[in-house]
Amino acid sequence: MDIQPSASPADRTGTTGRRGFLTLAAAAGATAALGGLPAFTASAAPLRPAQSPLLSAADAARNQLWWQAPGSAGSMIGQGLPVGNGRLGALASNDPGAELLMVTDATLWTGGANGTLQDDGQFPYGRDDFGSLTLLAQLTVAIPGHDLGAVDNYRRVLDLAQGVVTTTYDVAGVTYRRQIFASRPDDAIVLTFSQLGGGSYTGTVSLAGTHGETTTADRASGTASFGAALGNGLTYGSAVTAYSGTGKVAVDGTALTFSGCRDLTVVLSGGTDYAPDASAGFRDPSVDPERLAVTKVRNAARASATALLHTHVADFRAVFEQFGLSLGASSPAQRELDTWQRVQARYRDDVPDPELEAAYLQYGRYLMISGSRGSLPAGLQGVWLDGNDPDWMGDYHTDINIQMNYWLADRAGLSGCFDAFADYCLAQLPSWTDTTQRLFNSPANRYRNSNGKVAGWTVAISTNPYGGGGWWWHPAGNAWLCHNLFEHYEYTQDIGYLGKVYPLIKGAVEFWEARLVTTTVTDASGASREVLIADSDWSPEQGPLDAKGITYAQELVWNLFGHYRTATQALGRDTGHSAAVEALRNRLYLPVVSPKTGWLEEWMSPDNLGETTHRHLSPLFGLFPGDRIRPDDSTPKDILAGATALLTARGMNSFGWANAWRSLCWARLKDAEKAYQLVVTNLRPSADGSNGSAMNLFDIYEVEKGRGIFQIDANFGTPAAVVEMLVYSRPGHVELLPALPAAWAAAGSVSGVGVRGGFVADLSWRDGKVTQATLRSVGGRTTTLVAGGASRRIDLTPGESVTLRHLS
Amino acid sequence: MRSSSTPAPRAAHHGALRRPARALLVLAVTAGLAVAAPAATGAATPAAPTPAAADGTAATPYMGWSSWSMQSSQYPGLNPNGSYSYLTEANVLKQTDALASKLKDYGYTYVNIDAGWWMDNGWTPGYDQYGRQRPDPVRFPHGMKAVADHIHAKGLKAGIYLPVGLEKGAYGDGRTPILNAPGCTTADAVYPDLRTTNGWDSAYKLDFANPCAQAYVDSQAQAFADWGYDFLKLDGVGPGSFKSGDNYDNVPDVAAWQKAIAATGRPIHLEISWSLDIGHAADWQRYSDGWRIDTDVECYCNTLVTWENSVNDRWKDAPAWSGKAGPGGWNDLDAIDVGNGAMDGLTQAERQSYMTLWAINKSPLFTGDDLTSLDSYGVSLLTNREVIAVDQNSSPVARPVTPVGDQQVWAAKNPDGSYTVALFNLAGAPASVTADWAALGFTGDASVRDLWNKRDLGGYRDRITEALPAHGSRLFTVEPNGRTLATTGYEAESAANTLGGNASVAGCDACSGGKKVGNLYGGGTLRFNDVTVKKAGIYTVKVRYVSGDPRAVTVSSNGGNGTSLPFPSTGDWNTTATVSVSLALKAGANTITFDSGADGYAPDIDRIDVPQSL
Repeated sequence: MDIQPSASPADRTGTTGRRGFLTLAAAAGATAALGGLPAFTASAAPLRPAQSPLLSAADAARNQLWWQAPGSAGSMIGQGLPVGNGRLGALASNDPGAELLMVTDATLWTGGANGTLQDDGQFPYGRDDFGSLTLLAQLTVAIPGHDLGAVDNYRRVLDLAQGVVTTTYDVAGVTYRRQIFASRPDDAIVLTFSQLGGGSYTGTVSLAGTHGETTTADRASGTASFGAALGNGLTYGSAVTAYSGTGKVAVDGTALTFSGCRDLTVVLSGGTDYAPDASAGFRDPSVDPERLAVTKVRNAARASATALLHTHVADFRAVFEQFGLSLGASSPAQRELDTWQRVQARYRDDVPDPELEAAYLQYGRYLMISGSRGSLPAGLQGVWLDGNDPDWMGDYHTDINIQMNYWLADRAGLSGCFDAFADYCLAQLPSWTDTTQRLFNSPANRYRNSNGKVAGWTVAISTNPYGGGGWWWHPAGNAWLCHNLFEHYEYTQDIGYLGKVYPLIKGAVEFWEARLVTTTVTDASGASREVLIADSDWSPEQGPLDAKGITYAQELVWNLFGHYRTATQALGRDTGHSAAVEALRNRLYLPVVSPKTGWLEEWMSPDNLGETTHRHLSPLFGLFPGDRIRPDDSTPKDILAGATALLTARGMNSFGWANAWRSLCWARLKDAEKAYQLVVTNLRPSADGSNGSAMNLFDIYEVEKGRGIFQIDANFGTPAAVVEMLVYSRPGHVELLPALPAAWAAAGSVSGVGVRGGFVADLSWRDGKVTQATLRSVGGRTTTLVAGGASRRIDLTPGESVTLRHLS
Repeated sequence: MRSSSTPAPRAAHHGALRRPARALLVLAVTAGLAVAAPAATGAATPAAPTPAAADGTAATPYMGWSSWSMQSSQYPGLNPNGSYSYLTEANVLKQTDALASKLKDYGYTYVNIDAGWWMDNGWTPGYDQYGRQRPDPVRFPHGMKAVADHIHAKGLKAGIYLPVGLEKGAYGDGRTPILNAPGCTTADAVYPDLRTTNGWDSAYKLDFANPCAQAYVDSQAQAFADWGYDFLKLDGVGPGSFKSGDNYDNVPDVAAWQKAIAATGRPIHLEISWSLDIGHAADWQRYSDGWRIDTDVECYCNTLVTWENSVNDRWKDAPAWSGKAGPGGWNDLDAIDVGNGAMDGLTQAERQSYMTLWAINKSPLFTGDDLTSLDSYGVSLLTNREVIAVDQNSSPVARPVTPVGDQQVWAAKNPDGSYTVALFNLAGAPASVTADWAALGFTGDASVRDLWNKRDLGGYRDRITEALPAHGSRLFTVEPNGRTLATTGYEAESAANTLGGNASVAGCDACSGGKKVGNLYGGGTLRFNDVTVKKAGIYTVKVRYVSGDPRAVTVSSNGGNGTSLPFPSTGDWNTTATVSVSLALKAGANTITFDSGADGYAPDIDRIDVPQSL
């Protein structure tokens, strides 16, 4: 291969990136610093971009989804289009005559610390004690003259790169257009209405709470608003205003009316007094949410609709364009179809649609940018609800779901979106520590440490934002969370960050030092040895409830202790303790292959004690996201075969996140076609609530026949699998196109892929072979790059990049 | 003859429990068993029938108002004196006046009195000395003629109602004389064993082997003629009305009514009800002017109707009947209750779809609404002349041109070469619906007229797509400006195809080539092996098929997953119809597969026609 070092990042020839634009974005808004206060607070007036940041129509079209029908109040989860500014999210119906926004604030949670265990030693899990994410508000813009029955050429477009939903339609020869976006710089959701052809808008803007609040309107400020407190004391509020350069906007009762408006702008804001601070009881008493919301919408209303749009797009594009993807060209026939028709045709005809498949990945990034910036992390539904009773509370599930949510961020150029997850864990740590040390060894808790010791922290299967756990204890959940936290460091090599999350990692290590117990095992050779195993536990969601040494825990602890060693070395802390922990690590029992099933054992037993095709791949943690089991000479052949056999037995036809995880595992095993098939399976159109993708591409899980619910994890996990098929990395090793399926082999490119070890990769390929690759250091210095069977050591200094051609 | 050897099991009739209210009709039960003497003399065979339209009635689907929707509803205030008590002289006259002033100009002319005119408010019937239904003096204090006279004075036509058979209450002790039939009593008119008939078993079955039966019907018809009625709804008719078997074969009754009406010399439109057996369509065509294809549209609830019960059934049930209607006899989809949203119990979108389906099916258009309180949207639906013209013009009844899932396209080719095209979204959420011109048989440009919005939408190339609300619709006239679509036909029975499972070639007179592939059930498959196109793309493939009932089949190309597509009934196993399906084809040879699925019953396939270009 040829190597062409380049002097500075500015010289890089990105394959699809448009990074020059970053300079514009820097003016638009600063990213919240890690550990900062992700809350609803007053903010300085945003800097307005001096030049239009809007993409040309042709450029924008490369990252757009579109539909030819709106949603309705009863179909928002499947048909509402999501917007979000990282904290405030909304689903928009885009109905011409009745625009409906269901607005969610990531912090509007019922419940609390939930610090008393049930008689069974586990946590209550109800909407009052543990709590639930709930809606903030519903906004309706009614335009009676625009009933859908009289509308032609309806079209709505979700612009993933610019973060804007645009609806256009004709009524009696006039083309009407509305745009909806959730602006992070203005901390508001904005709706702008315009027209071509001499039309105007007449109607009503109504703001309503969803918990029985009373909305009032203020004639002087031209705002409608409400404020209230939940039973747990959390105060919250929302406000809306509307303005037009042409017609009349007035307050009428509790609503805003508009008439004869050739243009109209509606601005909504809102939030809560939540604060990510355990010592303050997770409240910021200085915030009056209703008043702050009024202030924010009035401040935003000083700017023109265009200025608000430009400010938002500058902010959004800068994040989106950190990563670009082409998986090849789709056919003209496919391009003619709208997104839903395309999803249906993809399934019906089973003909690859590379542009749709790439757009599905970018949609996942869009959701991450919209739902995970500057506030709480994305839970089971992100910030998109259609009611106040989301399944499983819309919470943080720590036995796969929140971990999967954040597999995408660093891989796909969204390291900044990861911060919400790290900030969350840091803010919860005092409560998690307290709860663990107070309650974990409760005699009623079947998972307590049998040796009576307890230290550090762990979590329940569900966690809320008030330090509370829900459902059952989840001893290995701490190591699972720490794996994500540590991988972020591997991607970024940000030593400051590592220092911040170090207490989480160390606390988890301490928990396991106290918890491990010894047992004697007999190896295949007949020799006995003493090993350390995890105390009684449940391999997530299946099998015996009191199994010692489950593979899930053994792998996670082995992994955690390894991360601890790396962290202590990088930070120069606790080196003595680290050595002791390393000694424990060397004594950890690691799973063997069952002579009965041929599978890697899940329960330290040769028997299959659970469901063969169970959704969780807990015993395969070492394959993905861990690196212990690899399809190379570093892994004993029998272990690799056992892991492959177990993955095969789990099957190819699960749902959402379970398919995504399977795809990631097959990508690690370099079985490109199986990995691809699982991506395609998640793209299957959901009908009547069946597993698959809804019209808006939300992943739907069929909880019972005819009832499907939105679970966002597959929307992040499936894109993560796509990236994993293109680039595999671990510190010191990066492999290009490890699992490129035939459907994408003809030609493609990807830019901005995060590489563990502190690099970012751009690459392009043709006929399945890498044609060019660029590796840029974001902190990494040395790695081995593998492509097309050849490998090469790369040495870079931070900021430096290298471009390679002819890699085969 | 039904040529498919594998009929699907007949589904339990969904409406079987829907009519408990009408069981009230069965009240009078005669005590004791009357033994009737055999008929004296007379021919046992009915006279040769005349075509139903011979008297000039039903040249077009009738339009008007009926009392039953309001009678059957529990909407507050409608029936203050007990169930069905809305039916009174005062209310009929009030509705007559409203019809005359609001809707008559648009063609609505019939004022139809439904069940109960001879019942008191406790639903006890009254009969005259000849066993004929006698107007209830409380409901109709001036008798039925006075009502008809008022209706006629407004320039409208009067309709009345009867259940089929000799009502048990009319039987008396069997010695009740029959008017103008010396020697005939009620016992002579019915079977000696007093076998019951009609949808409620509320009547004894007339035995037309005895001329006294015809005489009884004649006497009833004469009463209506004497009173001046122009329309009769004969209800509970079988086979149909959820009944089958000899006792419920009322074909002789309907024939007798046709004969009796003719004998009066007064043109009286004869409409029969309900859920008539399509297997007897030829009888209904021969003897009547229209037939209800389905159960009642009314919900017997707090509104007049609801979408689910049973307005939306018509989309499934109407296609089977599409070939049966024409001048002289029409497919009656029941009342069109779209005039007042609150009372109707429907959304605006549902009301428009309701009217659209009725119009394209050329159903009679009789509203059951309170015409004194129509809302403005209801008026706009009932008085849209372009839509009424679709119902009344000489075009054929529309059929689905797509499979009949939640999104459907129906079309009819008009005599002037244009097409009437309706888009429907039967789903509970908005959806886009596309009409591909290829499904109509042409390609290129067409100009589109929006009938509901009364607007020319301009030109559309190859297709039109519209966003429809839940249960919504659009109705267009499409004028092709392009060219006929050239297609290549592939016969199902071709030896080049591959049959799997039970599938086999069968004769079919109506099919091209005289053959089809049937027995597509239990995993049966038909694969066209060599479907060749020049250019890769998504093609609109026409499928000609035969299916005596609605059946689904999974259609796929080149080993794709395909889609399970519900095909509408063609009416019987000797009639073909076409629907178009979208499939990706690659340049060169392709396969197209029809698969019944392991547990499914698929339609029989005649042929497919594949466009030669995109």
